[in-house]
Amino acid sequence: MSDAPFRNPGWAGNTGEFDLSEEQVRGEDFVGARPLEGGHAAGAASYPYMLADKEPEAPLFEGPYRARYEKILTRYPNTRAALLPVLGLAQEVRGHISPETMDAVARLLDLPDAYVRGVTTFYTMYNKRPVGRFLIQVCTNISCNLCGADEVMGAFLEHTGTEMGETSEDGDFTVVEAECLAGCGFPTCVQINSRYYENVDAGDVPKILEHLKIQGE
Amino acid sequence: MSDAKPSTVTLTIDGREVTVPRGTTLLKAAEALGTRVPHYCYHDGLSSPAMCRLCLVEVEGAPKPMPSCVTAAQDGQVVLTDEGRAREMREGVLEFYLVNHPLDCPICDQSGECKLQDYVHAEGRAHGRSREPKRVFGRDDFGGDVLFYGDRCVMCTRCVRFMNEVERDPRLTVVERGNRSVIDTFFDEGLDGTKWSGNIVDICPVGALVSKDFLFKQRAWDLDHTPSVCTGCSQGCNIALHTRDNLVQRVKPRTNLDVNAFWMCDHGRHDYEWMNQGERLEAPLAGRGSERIALGWQEALTRLAARLDEADGTSVRAVASPRSSNEDLAALRAMVDALGGGTIEFRLPMAADEDVLEGMPTLARRRELAPNHRGAELLGMKRVGDDSGAGGLDEAGAHEGILIVLGDALADQDTDFGAAADLFVMLGTHDAVAAANADFLLPISMHAEQEGTFTNRDGRIQRFWPGLQPPGAARPAWLILRALASHRGEATLPGTAAEAFAAVAEESGAFGDLDYPTVGTRGAVVPERAALAGD
Repeated sequence: MSDAPFRNPGWAGNTGEFDLSEEQVRGEDFVGARPLEGGHAAGAASYPYMLADKEPEAPLFEGPYRARYEKILTRYPNTRAALLPVLGLAQEVRGHISPETMDAVARLLDLPDAYVRGVTTFYTMYNKRPVGRFLIQVCTNISCNLCGADEVMGAFLEHTGTEMGETSEDGDFTVVEAECLAGCGFPTCVQINSRYYENVDAGDVPKILEHLKIQGE
Repeated sequence: MSDAKPSTVTLTIDGREVTVPRGTTLLKAAEALGTRVPHYCYHDGLSSPAMCRLCLVEVEGAPKPMPSCVTAAQDGQVVLTDEGRAREMREGVLEFYLVNHPLDCPICDQSGECKLQDYVHAEGRAHGRSREPKRVFGRDDFGGDVLFYGDRCVMCTRCVRFMNEVERDPRLTVVERGNRSVIDTFFDEGLDGTKWSGNIVDICPVGALVSKDFLFKQRAWDLDHTPSVCTGCSQGCNIALHTRDNLVQRVKPRTNLDVNAFWMCDHGRHDYEWMNQGERLEAPLAGRGSERIALGWQEALTRLAARLDEADGTSVRAVASPRSSNEDLAALRAMVDALGGGTIEFRLPMAADEDVLEGMPTLARRRELAPNHRGAELLGMKRVGDDSGAGGLDEAGAHEGILIVLGDALADQDTDFGAAADLFVMLGTHDAVAAANADFLLPISMHAEQEGTFTNRDGRIQRFWPGLQPPGAARPAWLILRALASHRGEATLPGTAAEAFAAVAEESGAFGDLDYPTVGTRGAVVPERAALAGD
């Protein structure tokens, strides 16, 4: 990863010990743009997309997203069971789950809208408010915390100029706290949109932000 | 069949043996012994999520405490509900319940009938150990009659399950998670337009859901509870009148699995102010127009008996009300029959359609908006007038002879009503324009002030008890009419409503051989034979 502008290239498994690219570790097929329509139905519900470009008014659902929605429905016995992945898909398209989105999903799946609201608010990974192009989730749970997560958090807030949970003025960054990201071997772990940034320390933060601004994810 | 499992199991709860049907939960088995295991989320009429963790009991041999509301009783089980670990667990759970509870009992409507208050008082810690600031939600107007105090909520979700399972209009949900979780609707949707949501106030074990109508009106411990029957429609839901200062303060459903189960509709719940109406008739009045004077009962009945003797032989006609009790109507029937027999009519307002609660065929707001039209029909009375409860009295109003009006307020009738009658007797709770020609205007008590029975649409006879004092000299209509009959030497005077009811069996058999003890607090269905005879 000699071409990386900082020592955390943003993929899980890079410990800095080996000079291997992500493609070499994961295989060509796994890396790169995944099909928007979800590929095989078995995986359609679980592709974790978080796009930098969000359209809060996007229709639910059209084109490849409609295909993916249909695939999701085939994998569940009823619409109630399909609610979580469908909400995930709605968030992928719209960036956050607004009350209007909850209502639209409820009508789409023929569920009570109060129930959809209850489910959406229960899970922290559904954004209830609009977020910036980059949603920065800093793990502050035990392992990361012991290795300086609070400083990393502070650095992100300082360099983006936002409060926790707020979006920066240019609309680029939203910084939130996350409970364990399951990257305890690589603290501090930060998830930015769909990518993990590992072994982050406070000094890395300006470089990461610059990289995001210039190159996107 | 020797290997078939017996249909009952025998277990030991707190050292006492009990035999219950197989499949009974530990909570119900303990209840059979008179032991109330504390619980919030469990309700007889709802599903059991076992989430309040308050009904945990210790079962010998089980590695962990068991939630008694969902654990089926097993043969030979040894259960401890009230000592050692079970008590310790409850104390711990209650302490957690109080971590965020505002402890605002002095200004809480539920105070006095609050399960949290009761349980903590009985088994909770004397002092809280939490040093953290409490989280604050404030209150939320859910619309309809329901006000929500989020801080007091114990998250038992009875209300959510009621709306999902009973009303089947799933508007309530748990929003957020952890200690931020709170009951809410879909943002501003609220409960407007629901017809049964008043029940969630009843089933809320704490003061989280309170009635706006009852808000800050009375303290729960000041209220007297009188078993009664709802007069809103012909379904006859069992209710309790909560009274104080001789006023009905609120109405709550009374459990009767044969009729309304645990619930009642919002319409019946809020239709009680008429029972508190003032300007009642308080003394018997005699004479038409300016000659009208107030009399004592003795004098009034003596004069009335004399007038009846004078008018003997002329035709009799009567107007009754489907809001009167069986005893009142039967006394009127007996009086009319003794005077030679005649038509008895009643008027019945009808709603455009009925609201039946899906899945509960005996719980509905019926079209017939009076509690006792069935009883009137069984006694051979005929319905006249239109669906607004008006009209149909042209013949009665112009009747020449003896005219008796019982209970009907004659609100739509004019001053010339009964002008042609030889003798016009009106028994009512209020004076009316149409009572101007009444020769005798006798004050009667209404159902909340007397003991009696109603017959609901399915022929079920249900008793109600007096919760209020009748004003002045007002008396039950059956007592007045029976006293009049005994004055005329026709019959002995029944001393109680039970005897008045028993008299019906002798006279017409309209209610079969039922008596008050058989009817009890749950009601009894009129035998079919009698019902047929009545038709």
